Amino acid sequence: MQTLKSLFTNTIAIIVFILAWELAARFGFVNTMFIPAFSTVLLAISKLLISGTLIPHIAISLQRSIGGLLLAVAIGIPLGFIMGGWFRKLETALEPLFEIAAQANPYILFHVIILFLGIGEAAKLAIIAWICIWPILFNTAAGIRNVDADLLKAARSFGLKRWPLFYKVVLPAASPSIFTGLRLSAGYSFFLLIAAEMMGSSSGLGWFLIYSQENYNIEWIFSGAVVIALLSIIIDSIIKYLEKKIIVWSEPA
Amino acid sequence: MNLLTATSNTALRGSGLFLFLLLWEIAPRLGWADAQFIPPLSAVIAAGYKLWAQGLLYSQLIVSLWRAALGLLVALLIAVPTGAILAGWFPRVLTYLDPLFRLLSNVNPFSLAPVFMLFFGIGEAMKLMIISLVAVWPILFHTITGIRTVDPLLIKTARSMNVSNFVLMRDILLPGALPTIVTGIRISVQMAVFMLVAAEMLGAKAGLGWLVHSSAMLSQLPRMYAGGAFIILVGIFINKVILHIEKTSFFWKESVEIFDAVSPINKKGKWSMLFDEYYVSLVVLLFAFIIAFGGHEVNRLNKERFIETTSPRSNHEKHTMKQHLPGCTEKKDDDTLNYIIGD
Repeated sequence: MQTLKSLFTNTIAIIVFILAWELAARFGFVNTMFIPAFSTVLLAISKLLISGTLIPHIAISLQRSIGGLLLAVAIGIPLGFIMGGWFRKLETALEPLFEIAAQANPYILFHVIILFLGIGEAAKLAIIAWICIWPILFNTAAGIRNVDADLLKAARSFGLKRWPLFYKVVLPAASPSIFTGLRLSAGYSFFLLIAAEMMGSSSGLGWFLIYSQENYNIEWIFSGAVVIALLSIIIDSIIKYLEKKIIVWSEPA
Repeated sequence: MNLLTATSNTALRGSGLFLFLLLWEIAPRLGWADAQFIPPLSAVIAAGYKLWAQGLLYSQLIVSLWRAALGLLVALLIAVPTGAILAGWFPRVLTYLDPLFRLLSNVNPFSLAPVFMLFFGIGEAMKLMIISLVAVWPILFHTITGIRTVDPLLIKTARSMNVSNFVLMRDILLPGALPTIVTGIRISVQMAVFMLVAAEMLGAKAGLGWLVHSSAMLSQLPRMYAGGAFIILVGIFINKVILHIEKTSFFWKESVEIFDAVSPINKKGKWSMLFDEYYVSLVVLLFAFIIAFGGHEVNRLNKERFIETTSPRSNHEKHTMKQHLPGCTEKKDDDTLNYIIGD
């Protein structure tokens, strides 16, 4: 009964919203040339998926996004460990630089990266890795720095050596922060991916949107938008699920 | 912390940045990096100076800031009342609306940009829509959280004095939630500047994003780097401005989690305290100036360009991706309406 009630609260507003959208489109409150009815959009999405037009684009977009994210994780987490734990002086020296680099607008960097790597997969992976690295780096460093000193002292008093200390105490204690950084990065990566694909690409969901725009196919644009929104929600849910599985000791927020 | 450690700490903090700038100057000159792709720092600064001397820098800056300011204003006017009324007066309705808001906030504004472009053409309205859309969500969520976390004791005390809903909102809920709301505004300004550059790159004839994009298309690299560096500096400056509001206006709040070194609270001079007191009013004044002067500039530029771009163009040239290859001088035009009707 409880889950039924919570399911109700979670979905009622969305259902009402979709109904309102549908009715507004049917009764002509909004111009269906610009905002198609929800049923039309749904139909368009299913047609696109079944005919297989959309699936390669989704696959490529996901590939780029996840590839960039993994690259950022591979570079960012070790770097975050180093910055958080060992070389304090290095960290103080690099901090302002990294702060500025983190705030650097990725669209500008996109142009610079295109100069070097051309308009190809490498450029897109590079820009996504760039924007994903900063949340991961900062959050990992912060997580390591904020490990409870009592835990460390207790572990040391048990005679724990350096390496087991790291992966038995420091790593788990820092994981909530690391996962926060990961969630932020995943959100940004998908966000930026669409923009990058819109600007210089010939495949992927962003390109699909521009293509639909050039053909004045509004239904396709909305289908693309809905698919993108759903994908970002799915990616976020996956990471939250992973977080719950791995960090078994955290209380619900 | 005595003077020596303080200075050496600052020196250490600045060293990373200094080395980076030094590297930027030396590497192209020594041939470590291709000087065609990365002009040395001096060339970039020279290009920046030229931009400023030509008046382009001010012009594009004020236009960009105007768009961001207007978008932020619209977002504020929508998000703060909605969030405050929902969280303060109808909390039960809010529990139902929460999932919907979370779903809508995940909608990528880039995915709606083509729709806006078809609706509004490549005009100011489209950019305003995109920026407002992006800026609304952080403010909304932070307003809701802020009002939810107002001390319930205060609310109960007010209720026991039989205040009306309106007075409750005005005197207790909003002031109590104000620190969180300002944090939301800060995040939303960051996102607005972020999206602004992108929106300008997608379709605009003025603004800092357009400057960088067109310089890239025309392969004028020092100008591109100068514009880009300027955008970054502006973003950092805006961030610091709002952070200062957060730090000084709400003295009862714990300090914001930032990566600055914590400065000791010294006795402040007379001018510094005066500055702090009138800081928010100064910021609001600056905001008003941006909207006034920016609007004027946008008007002027639109009139100029309108004369330029009413030349007929072939359909094929208008919307191909060829525009995005370097060296191509094609720019997206704003004759979308013409395109739909005119043939």
